[in-house]
Amino acid sequence: MCYIHKISSISHQDTFNKSFKLDELEILDENSELISPEYKNIINPSSLRRLSPILRMSLVNAINCSNELEFDAIIVGTALGCLLDTEKFLNIILSSESETLSPTSFIQSTHNTIGGQISLYLKNHAYNMTFTQNSLSFEVSLIDGISCLNEDKNNVLIGASDEKIDFLNLIKQSLLKHKYPLTNISTFLNLQKSKSENEIKILDVYISYSFKDTIENEVINFIAKNNLTIKDIDLCYSNENINIPFKNIENFLKYSGLNLSASAFAFHMGVQFLTQENNGIVLIINTICKNQLGLILIEK
Amino acid sequence: MTIFITGCGVNSSLGLNYEENLTALINKKSGIKNFGENIFFNHNVGKIDFSNEELIKKYDLKEYGSRTAILGAIAAKEAFMEHVISDEIRTGLISGTSVGGMDITEKNYLPFKNNLIDPSIFNLHVSGNTSNYIANELGLTNIYINTLSTACSSAANAIMIGARMIQQNILDRVIVGGTDCLTDFTFNGFKSLMIFDKEWCKPFDENRNGLNLGEGAGFLILESEKSIEKSKKNPIAKLSGWNSSSDAYHQTASSPDGIGAIMSMTKALNMAKLNPDQIDYISAHGTSTPNNDQSESVAFINTFKNKVPHFSSTKSYTGHTLAASGGIEGVFSIMSLKHDLLFPNLNFKSPIIETNLTPITEVIKDKKINHILSNSFGFGGNNSTLIFSKI
Repeated sequence: MCYIHKISSISHQDTFNKSFKLDELEILDENSELISPEYKNIINPSSLRRLSPILRMSLVNAINCSNELEFDAIIVGTALGCLLDTEKFLNIILSSESETLSPTSFIQSTHNTIGGQISLYLKNHAYNMTFTQNSLSFEVSLIDGISCLNEDKNNVLIGASDEKIDFLNLIKQSLLKHKYPLTNISTFLNLQKSKSENEIKILDVYISYSFKDTIENEVINFIAKNNLTIKDIDLCYSNENINIPFKNIENFLKYSGLNLSASAFAFHMGVQFLTQENNGIVLIINTICKNQLGLILIEK
Repeated sequence: MTIFITGCGVNSSLGLNYEENLTALINKKSGIKNFGENIFFNHNVGKIDFSNEELIKKYDLKEYGSRTAILGAIAAKEAFMEHVISDEIRTGLISGTSVGGMDITEKNYLPFKNNLIDPSIFNLHVSGNTSNYIANELGLTNIYINTLSTACSSAANAIMIGARMIQQNILDRVIVGGTDCLTDFTFNGFKSLMIFDKEWCKPFDENRNGLNLGEGAGFLILESEKSIEKSKKNPIAKLSGWNSSSDAYHQTASSPDGIGAIMSMTKALNMAKLNPDQIDYISAHGTSTPNNDQSESVAFINTFKNKVPHFSSTKSYTGHTLAASGGIEGVFSIMSLKHDLLFPNLNFKSPIIETNLTPITEVIKDKKINHILSNSFGFGGNNSTLIFSKI
């Protein structure tokens, strides 16, 4: 059993540093913008200057989730990594025969720069992992975080971040056939074995590929495996229509926008639902990438 | 619970499979060469001298993919050879890569922007799709698949995470390792950091200048005892300990005190319940950069309390294969345990003055090898250590 002690998101909604209400979320359109905090109030300007959006969002969320104890593990999920710096460096090498190349973009282009920057800033020597499993990067990070807690660790930071660049819009039709606008998302949480004040816990996380079975059957089996029935689910967040008679189904993509780490944002929405309702069970179904299924159950 | 190794597969500039790599290692034949002006600007690299098309044909691969995925599939297929696919054995694939499909993207980025090609090719760029490709080539569908990217410690971390999933009874059998191919992007990236040796690298040498890049893939099959009863495969080694710790010193440099490395080695030894003096050989990270080799040497002295065992870096054989290094060197460690052979640190002449450690410079064949410690240290201060033991 593991409890969510803190959670923090930066997105195209006003979610940072507040226990946001679900009915205040807006349905996003192409004009929506990332709502960033005042970074310079949190990170010193000289460190801040070089950090791309994905690094800023992730670092600030990590700081926001910190407690007095050092994290025993820092686990980051990202499908596409640090795109801005990747594209920057790619353009540099494709366009010039320059003998002197600036290394900054290259250094910051690697997927694990996010985890690395967090570890550096917090001076954290613990286990530090970065998962890059497409739309399931958040789910596999949760699974690994829970594994860590089942081992000898007590206090884990888990998050997922993905940023958008204009180039993604150009290839959007091919990569992901959806109508929602591309967005930036970063969601981090502190997971511990000990009970949290809000008493919200993760019951189970599951992933599968090229399922032999239908999504609906996978979902029903997952719920049953946790000794629950369809009626027990108070809210289901999903990115597509699911043919199961849940009391309440909501499409989270309307609020998260299209992002390969969107299930992390849906997770935060689920936490807010449980906070508002004061008890219940939320299921998050993630099929953002074809043939990749992620399922998360949380409860208060 | 004992974690058994029941298969391994490898490719590098030494060869396309286990036997070819072993032969080169025994014969002290490095795969690092200068391929000429047009290939990586006259720098020495550990390139596999086959094109993607040749590899796909030679290994009967089903689909075109990024070179990273292709190399990974070939090594994973070799490792998984003759393993049974069964619903009773919960199987997973965890692969580490830092390059992903960047080889595809760097060739197609401008053509796409100039409206010359279809964008679907960029599906191959995505890190996670390299693992999906490998699973597909192995004919494994609906298994647990995960991809990780922690720079040069990726494969080592994949191995340890797979082991943990077996220990926690989430999986019975895992295909674990890593793969990376040479790309202009990575090459220019390391060039911008000015940590190349244009000539052949010299790990742990006082006069070392930097690293040579390499490419390749290395995978192991890990199984629980329960799984072996069903798969009926013979174990060839054990994974007896592991640890991953962070330096928290600098985004690309290792701390001169070797803090992260000391932690990962010490904790891995504790987990394996081994004293430092029980380690017969260290497969060093040994990239041949001024920074790493100094830092790692300091860490050796601290961890082994001045009784540093035989050690070498095989990176003057293969080049630095980045995310694949923990996997490729893991397979080399299995070879050492299986055949009681230790492979030398090629191109070494003088020890680093500050630490005065001398790696082995000849193949050692007259010693029984029981425990090997293997290091993989990644940018971002990610220090990972694995301990392999004889059955």
